[in-house]
This record gives sequence, C-alpha cells and structure tokens, in this order.
Amino acid sequence: MTTPSLITQDLTIRFGGHVAVNAVSCAFRPGELTVIVGPNGAGKTTYFNLISGQLRATSGRVLKNGTDLTAMAPSARAHHGVGRAFQLTNLFPGLSVLENIRLAVQAHSGDGWRLFRPAASLKGLTAKAETYLEATKLTPVAHQAASELSHGDQRKLEVALLMAMEPDIYMFDEPTAGMSLDHAPDVLELIADIKRDTTKTVLLVEHKMDVVRALADRIIVLHNGELLADGAPEEVMSSQIVKDVYLGKGVAA
Amino acid sequence: MTQKPSLIIKLAVLAIAAALLFWPFLFQDVRSIQVAARICVFIVLVASYDLLIGYTGIVSFAHVMFFGFGSYGSAIALDQMGPGWLPVGLGALAGVALSLVIAVAIGLLSLRVKAIFFAMITLATASVALVLASQLSGLTGGEDGITYKAPDLFKPATKLWLNAEGKVAQLWGVRLNGKLAAYYFVFLSSLMLFVVMLRLVGSPIGTVLKAIRENEARAEAIGYRVVAYRTFVFCIAAVVASLAGSVYAVWLKYTGPETALSFDIMIDILLMVVIGGMGTMWGAVIGATLLVLAQYYLRDLMGAAAEALSGLPLLPEILSPDRWLLWLGIVFILLVYFFPKGIVGTLSAKGAR
Repeated sequence: MTTPSLITQDLTIRFGGHVAVNAVSCAFRPGELTVIVGPNGAGKTTYFNLISGQLRATSGRVLKNGTDLTAMAPSARAHHGVGRAFQLTNLFPGLSVLENIRLAVQAHSGDGWRLFRPAASLKGLTAKAETYLEATKLTPVAHQAASELSHGDQRKLEVALLMAMEPDIYMFDEPTAGMSLDHAPDVLELIADIKRDTTKTVLLVEHKMDVVRALADRIIVLHNGELLADGAPEEVMSSQIVKDVYLGKGVAA
Repeated sequence: MTQKPSLIIKLAVLAIAAALLFWPFLFQDVRSIQVAARICVFIVLVASYDLLIGYTGIVSFAHVMFFGFGSYGSAIALDQMGPGWLPVGLGALAGVALSLVIAVAIGLLSLRVKAIFFAMITLATASVALVLASQLSGLTGGEDGITYKAPDLFKPATKLWLNAEGKVAQLWGVRLNGKLAAYYFVFLSSLMLFVVMLRLVGSPIGTVLKAIRENEARAEAIGYRVVAYRTFVFCIAAVVASLAGSVYAVWLKYTGPETALSFDIMIDILLMVVIGGMGTMWGAVIGATLLVLAQYYLRDLMGAAAEALSGLPLLPEILSPDRWLLWLGIVFILLVYFFPKGIVGTLSAKGAR
C-alpha cells in the first residue's frame, strides 16, 4: 500500500459546547477516491473546512506528506497542494470566467506578485486557463461574468477553479448539487479523469448513491462529528451501522 | 468590473487629458491655472484611493493623512532648508517613509478585522494626525500653516527661454516663465503617477486585488495571502497619495491643515470617487475634474445666471451665488440618483448591453 498523502489525527473542533468534529483520525492515499457520507449536520463540510483551513482545529493535526498544516492559513495550505471546491458556489462573480480560472492558475505559478506587467500579456497563464475552460466545456462562455452563468455552468466553473489549482489533494463538496441531469455527467466524468491519475488523492462529499457507487474506492461515514465506519464501498453500504444512521435505530431494530 | 469603458468615457478622458496638457495656453488667468493644477493632483489622489475602495474593497478614511504627510514633508523641508530641489526631494522622501511606516502598521494590525473596524481605526489615526499638525505649531505652523518658497525654477520671474531681445520668449502669446514650468511639473508628475497606477491595475496583481474585492474567502482558498495583498495595496495607495501631496505643496507654496489634512478633503475624495465611478481608474479622472470645476466655477456661473435673470421675480434669489453649496448638493443627489455606479460605471454598464 502506498504511503498516505493526507492524514488527520484526532481532528476536533468545538463551537462552544458543541463538538462538530470529534477526534477524527483518517489517512488518505494517492490514487484513492474516498467518499464521505453521513446525514445532514454530521460534520462533513466542517471536516473539509478543517482540512483546507477555513476553520482552525481545537485539537488534533492535519498532515500533508508529513508536513503539519494545522496552524496554516488556507492560502498556505493551497500552496502545499490541498485544493478545495465548495458546496455553495463560491466564485468571483464580477470577473469573467476566464479571469476566474486564470486567477487560480496564477496563484500557484508564482506570478501573483508580478507588478506592472499587463495580466493579459502573460500568455502562459491564459493558455493554461484555456485548457481548463475546454476540459470543463466552458469555452463558449469564457468572457461572460461568472455571475451571469447558469447554475450548472457555475458548478462547472467551481470544479474548473479547483482543477486549475493543480493540487495533490482534490476535495469536492457535493459537486453536482442542484445540477440538472444533462450537466451532472460532465462533472462526474471530470472527477473520474482525476481519479485515473494515481498520484492524486480525491475526497468527495456526496449524497447520491449512484454517484457513490460509480466512483468510490472507499467510503467513510461521519455521524455527529464522529467517524463511524470506514471501508470498501460494498462493505460499508451493507453494514448495519450505516443503515441505523440513515434510517434511524427504531426502524432497524 | 470586466466591462470596457464606453466610447463616451474614452472621449471624455481624452478631452480632459488634452485640456490639461494645453491648459496654460487656453486659459491664462491665475485662477484657472490654479484649477488645472488642483485637477491634476486630485486625479492622482482619487485614483490612489480607488485602488483601495474600488479595486480591493478597503474603506479607509486616512487617505488625506497620507496626502498631508507628503505635503508637510516637502513644506517643512522647504521652510527649514530654503528653496531648492534637495528639500523637495528630501521632504517627499520623508513623507513617503512616514506614510509607509504608518500604512504597514495600520495594515498589519488591523486589515484582519472587519471592514467597519478598519474604517474606524483609519478615522482615528487621521484625527490624531490632524490634531498633531495643529498642535506642533513650531514645526507645522499650526492652524496658520507654513508659507515658503518653491525652487527657483518655478519663480514667475524665471525665464525659460529668451527671445532675440533678451526678454522672456512667448509661445502662442504665453510667456515661457517659471509659472509655466511649475504647472508642467505638476502635470507631468501627476501623469507619471497615474500611468504607474494604470499599469498596476492591469497587471496580475490588479486581478488579484479585484478577486479579493469579489470574494475574499475564495481568493484565500485558491492560494492568495489576502492580508499581505491588502497591506501591500494600502501601502502603495499611501505612497502615491503622499507623493501627490508633495507635488501640491510645491505648487501652492503654502501648506496648512485646510489644504493638506482636513476632513473636507477626505469628503471631496469620497465624492469624487463615487461620482466618477469606483473600480475604474477613468472614474477618478472624471470625478475629480467635475467636482473641482464645480467647486471653482459653480458660484461664478450662478452669479452670471442671477444677473441675467435680474428682472424676474424670485429666480435671481434662488440662483444667488451665496446659495452655491445648496446647488452643489442638489447636483450630487441627482448624479448619484441617475448614475448609481458613478458616471463611468453606469455608462460602461449601459454600453455593454
């Protein structure tokens, strides 16, 4: 088995008296796509926020290839290869689609601090951004403002931003939420492509069971902030504990 | 925004630039050249403020303070060391250095906090600077300010070019004297600073600033250290404002709280950036020009109108020059009503449709 690229050790966050994520220890490996499931309020998105840095852990650690990220700002974690797409569309609304993607390309090209040189003349950045436009089929709307896109295209742009960051760890938070049936396969296809690259680690929060079945190498179950189950898809999905969580104990008993 | 400026805006900016370039040859009275110099300086001052409020979404009330640091820097140096280029340079440098130190301190200590707290901190800092300037009267001349001499080149008696008879030469009926040199010093310095800012907003860093304005959290998430970029742009804006202050001090040959530090100037800057349009360098050009022109000429215009209508009842009373501030207020309200995104922003949005 390959060495893990991302490890969370006893990762915990407390909001006042409420423990949203409770001592979650888990290791993720390159070439593996892990789906995180759990009922609403289980702490899935909070767990993501702790890994990508939007929230700071109360205790526990986040390690990427042995580097401790726990105290780092989100921007520093991004530079360490942790990339994140958001559940609620989170773009630069007034900027064009191309500019949105170019920003993500620029962020890890080291050109962010280049002064006094027209951004448009940085051909390399634009060319690279265009490949992601094509991959996500957004080329026709490249020059529209992100705020003017349809919901489906906004979700695709969300994914394009993550891809343009070229991270080692891809974190998708319900990437197809609210997407129409004809758009969702495009996004799932992109995720499947990333999964084929065995150097990449993919974490995916998803509710739709057909998506989970199609993509998952492994499933972990969060419930009330705790790691409840972890294993191969068929094993976890058939386990009694998951049925209890999803259907309620009363039904299962 | 992503939209390009419309044709009207381009033409207007071009016309203003041409007018400022040839101003001394077009209008020769002392007052109008005063107006032109003020327009040049305020375009730079407003554009540098737009870097903060329009591009990055930072609300600061300390911008006039940085302008004041530059003004007082040059003024004090010219006052203490006598006229010359060395005191101008040293004073400007001192103003920039002080601006940088204060900007870095404010930026690092408080750009992490919420926008409203940041605005309050800048307000407090600027108030302290204003109080200090009026209390340290030994250095700053207190409420009276300082009057000093500009470098010799800018003396009205200086002859830039001599004709065959050994007198000051004329071009299109304008004497090529020191006053002309002083105006072009203001014009060219302002142009240079403005071009530098244009390059900045068009560069990769300019896109990052817009990204921070649009969605701070996402900018951080894709790998931009937001606090660092904000502090950086706050410093750049402070330095440019400070340099604009130095240029204006050399032009006016007088620096006091009224011309360099008062909150009236801060309000002028805010009005200019709102009227011109935020997030577009061109807005600064249009906003500054309109407001300065209105401040200087609305009164004259109303006086003329009142006189022309002197036979009629009531109208001359309403248009009396004493009521010019009332009319300026009405013009502002109308502008904000009809151009909610500023003149440049609103016209560009219409042009895009």
